[in-house]
Amino acid sequence: MEQPQEITWVLLVYKIPREPTSSRATIWRKLKRLGALLLHDAVWVLPATPWTREQFQWLTVEIGELGGEAYLWESHLLLNGQAEALVQQFQAHVDAAYQEILEELSQECTDLVTLSRKYQQVRAQDYFHSALGTHVRERLMRARGGFVT
Amino acid sequence: MKWVTWEQVGVDRMACAWLITKYIDRDAEFLFVPAGHKLLPEGAEPFDIPGVRLSHHRGHCTFHTMLREYDLRDPVLERIARVVDEADTVQDVMLEPAATGLDVICQGIRLISPDDLVALERGKLVYEALYAQLASEPTQ
Repeated sequence: MEQPQEITWVLLVYKIPREPTSSRATIWRKLKRLGALLLHDAVWVLPATPWTREQFQWLTVEIGELGGEAYLWESHLLLNGQAEALVQQFQAHVDAAYQEILEELSQECTDLVTLSRKYQQVRAQDYFHSALGTHVRERLMRARGGFVT
Repeated sequence: MKWVTWEQVGVDRMACAWLITKYIDRDAEFLFVPAGHKLLPEGAEPFDIPGVRLSHHRGHCTFHTMLREYDLRDPVLERIARVVDEADTVQDVMLEPAATGLDVICQGIRLISPDDLVALERGKLVYEALYAQLASEPTQ
């Protein structure tokens, strides 16, 4: 992974009509599903990859079709330490979700099907490859029993 | 007829190229411009580029739009549209187990192909195979 200050970020700023509320909810859910962070209730941010760029691009189109307005930006953080802090926010977000999986794994009866699906969803949002993710994966492999490798 | 899209094709564009050649324009010729390029070659039909007719609409992939625009009614093609939707866009409801793998395979095809044209050509085998398999399953 590149140094945090060298990371390019994609930013999405949008507004969408209040009604129908289902349109607002759809866009919101997609942003959450992408693991984007909402900064100061204003700007949605993701590290730029071909995939995140494309997802934000199609969301911009969709918001327009829903009668809203969206701007898509690419940017760098200029001040020392801010990129590191942002990366940490992304990490904290996925680590909390990984932690939930670990806690459920330590219960007596665990639903491995649901947990492994949840792991895949969190993994898709794990843009900075949290070490906890590797740990969760190993625990899931062990929990299924039988041969580990 | 000429068709144009952005470079670095993936799951949706490979599906579209297969659909175009097989159902819409047997002699289709594909051209590519860099992503974000504003000037498109004249006389070529653009697809999977934001804002054009044949593109994502209402949260659906371009393949899905093409079925509507060319009035292609086939339950198996509809099912493939669902798979490509789930592979290419963020979806809450995931019903097609083939979707995630298909995206990875199509990205891989681009990686091992010398250019986009060869990648589209190779992608056709994947969609032929997907169509045959889905057609053999009970309709859903």
